[in-house]
Amino acid sequence: MKKKQVIEKRKIICGLAVVLLVAAVGMIPNVYSLRVISLALIYSISAFGLLLMLGMGGQMVFSAVAFMGIGAYTTANLCSGRLGFYLNGTWAILISIVLGGLMAFLFGLPLLRLKGTFFTFATIGIVQIFYTFFLNYVPLFGGPAGISGIRTLSILGFSLDSYVKWFYFLAVVAILVMLILNRARNTQFGRRLAAIRDNEIAANVLGVNVYWTRVKAFTISGMLGGLSGSLLAMMAKYIAADNFSWTRASTFVIMAMLGGVNSAPGIVLGSIIITVLPEVMRGLDRYLMFLYGIMVILLMILMPMGLSGLVSGLAKRWRRKRQARRER
Amino acid sequence: MSVNLLGSIVINGLAMGMVYAMIAMGLIMLIKAVGILNFAQGDLLMFGTFLVSFLIVDLEIPMGAALPLVMVLWGLLGAGFMMITYWPLRNASYPVAPVVATMGASLVLSEGVFLIWGTWPRTMPSLFQTADGRPATVNLFGAEIQVQFFAVIILGALLMFLVWILTEKLYVGKMMKAAAQDKYAARLIGIPHLLTTMVTYILVTELICSAGYMVAPIFAVTKSLSSLQLKAFAGTVIGGFGSIKGAVIGCLIVGLVEAFAQVNLSVYKEAVVFLVLMVFLIFRPGGLIRSKIQDKA
Amino acid sequence: MGQVLELKQVCKKFGGVVTAQDISMSIGAGEIHGLIGPNGAGKTTLINLISGITEADSGEIWFEGKNVTKLPAFKRGRLGIGRTFQVPRFLNNSSVWDNLMLGMDLRSQVGDLKSYFGIPKVDLEAELEPLMEAAGFELRWDDEIGSLPFGQLKLLEIVRAMLAKPKVLLVDEPAAGLNSMEIDRVSTLLNMAAKEQGIAVLLIEHRMDLVVDICKTLHVLVFGKLIAQGEPEQVTALPEVIEAYLGRDDDDQD
Repeated sequence: MKKKQVIEKRKIICGLAVVLLVAAVGMIPNVYSLRVISLALIYSISAFGLLLMLGMGGQMVFSAVAFMGIGAYTTANLCSGRLGFYLNGTWAILISIVLGGLMAFLFGLPLLRLKGTFFTFATIGIVQIFYTFFLNYVPLFGGPAGISGIRTLSILGFSLDSYVKWFYFLAVVAILVMLILNRARNTQFGRRLAAIRDNEIAANVLGVNVYWTRVKAFTISGMLGGLSGSLLAMMAKYIAADNFSWTRASTFVIMAMLGGVNSAPGIVLGSIIITVLPEVMRGLDRYLMFLYGIMVILLMILMPMGLSGLVSGLAKRWRRKRQARRER
Repeated sequence: MSVNLLGSIVINGLAMGMVYAMIAMGLIMLIKAVGILNFAQGDLLMFGTFLVSFLIVDLEIPMGAALPLVMVLWGLLGAGFMMITYWPLRNASYPVAPVVATMGASLVLSEGVFLIWGTWPRTMPSLFQTADGRPATVNLFGAEIQVQFFAVIILGALLMFLVWILTEKLYVGKMMKAAAQDKYAARLIGIPHLLTTMVTYILVTELICSAGYMVAPIFAVTKSLSSLQLKAFAGTVIGGFGSIKGAVIGCLIVGLVEAFAQVNLSVYKEAVVFLVLMVFLIFRPGGLIRSKIQDKA
Repeated sequence: MGQVLELKQVCKKFGGVVTAQDISMSIGAGEIHGLIGPNGAGKTTLINLISGITEADSGEIWFEGKNVTKLPAFKRGRLGIGRTFQVPRFLNNSSVWDNLMLGMDLRSQVGDLKSYFGIPKVDLEAELEPLMEAAGFELRWDDEIGSLPFGQLKLLEIVRAMLAKPKVLLVDEPAAGLNSMEIDRVSTLLNMAAKEQGIAVLLIEHRMDLVVDICKTLHVLVFGKLIAQGEPEQVTALPEVIEAYLGRDDDDQD
């Protein structure tokens, strides 16, 4: 029996490549490009919630934007002085994460008794309810005008006052979240989620508390939403309900599907493509969303498992070929 | 609340509910036939409605001539929609893929409308007008209510009944149902899968586009027509997801709730509709009418 | 006492069809019992009832002196009721490793945080070695679960159940679709479970040679009713069993 080897060398090479890539992107002199890429990183943190629910757990959800909104408005209230004080950004992040998770937990508790499409619909409901309140309830959410004048994040006196700094900070956060999630795959929790996704009856027989596992995953996805919303508020300094609408919600699903819903780097790639593409194709302006829709359809037809699915498919074929050659 | 206000709210709610019900019926027909949740339902409706407005208002084709033409165009729309979003993906290994494809199609359709006809809201003349071009009204308990509302309720019910007869009672419908349940067996006994699926898509498109056409004179013809689908989703789930009867009841409930919420809580009506949905989901998770359809989406 | 699993007048109806009627039986530690009967007799239903996939209408199921009749399936799994399926149920999108680890997880359900930091330490390979030796084939960790042949999957499902160290193991037609070499492996594994680990095994099987070979007691189920219980030689000799199970002379068996 072949030992399960952790290929340390490959890990180190991958790590180095990522560090180099991040450093290189940070060198881009165009501030606007850096802002767009930073936005993409923020979105991908929220989309990681989808990785957990859809990729690892097999449950389609749309609610990522709703919890992102909770985080964003929490931070906006705490850091824009509209409540009469400015809270340190670090605390605002923590409170946003807790509130995002709490909301997800409270909604998940009754609703996760539902399975499959029923729950998917419930998450559409969550998006619509939050969106309506974000848009209309002025005391907490500023109404259609949104909330502006949000202070940027400063950690231990170090203020993130440029997009370069934001980019590096976000890259670190995104990579951390990615590593945490990837590690989770090889824990009891990760395996339980996979069991629920692949074979619910087997999961039950193998002692998996399906309901509770799903509640936990949903809560974590809410916390990720809270985190990314909070970062969004502090980086953009202004938020409005439009960021958290149904259209956004479906964009998130598309992002995740584009990169490959069960791969964290895939999701980052997906959100970068989806966020950057409109900026690159500015010239096409009028046709942009139209082309984007066509692209989504083509993508689903040509590679339903996303870019990462394509890559791992190729890798598998290559491995098999190599193995066959060795056996010969 | 006075009687005349109540009356107009109820009529308004039932009319909107009927529109949602038609969208929902189409939704369930697709789920039963191909197991796909269609997120472009509202956009098909919007596209179809713009099409009618274009033919009648811009090209000034008289209604009698426009009607068959419109029916043909709607059918083509449905068939094209199927050939793009379903047919190439029917054997996809990942079940969410065709669903996401409909989300892409939703963008294509709504942006297509924008590219072809612009963002400006358009009008749709009502069939029921007074001599000076204003919408005809009737007096119900002292409230003036547009005839169009009644037309939506009655015509909507009639159309849905026709589709129901066609798909549930007639031989053709049974054949289609059988084909949906077992593709392989259906092919063995010579029911072409492509044809039955296409017929379903065409029927669905005709149904929801008629809903759009009927509701258009009440609103303007705008992109926001596509958002009707979210409330149709809510009604579908309240009804039990899979039962057409349940979906119709659920959508009527949604329409009524929305009409009442509009009066009392105006801007929050959207939230109220979905809160009602949540309450239903929590306390009656299987919906009003439970069915045993397979949950593939 | 001494009985690990006890069924007391368990009943189950689906619609109007009675699939289990007043079923009473008990299995002691380290014993292998066979459950035989014609197709549609309600054998799998009985296993579903014991493992909690379906809930009994009436009657009681006792496990190690504890009434588990109302417990959900996952709790019964954690207590130590393991099972396999007629068609093996694996996680088709996961690796062989993860599939087997699920069996190990069942043994020690720790908190998520603990599990996140690698506690408890488990050595899957060491645990697996004797089992795979009995199963008679080797695993490659790179393999996807879907690429394994059917026979190996069936054996592996028993292995997975045994990794969890259950007290009761319900095995649903392990030999169906297997060749005679693989069937030998099934009986090796089940004997190992019973003799070495003291697991109470309930085996559903059509292959009479296997059943007679390894079972201490047989239960014969026909139309949801137990018509006979006892030692294999006696039970298979009973005329009503022969008639119900093998069919009368004039129609072909099975």
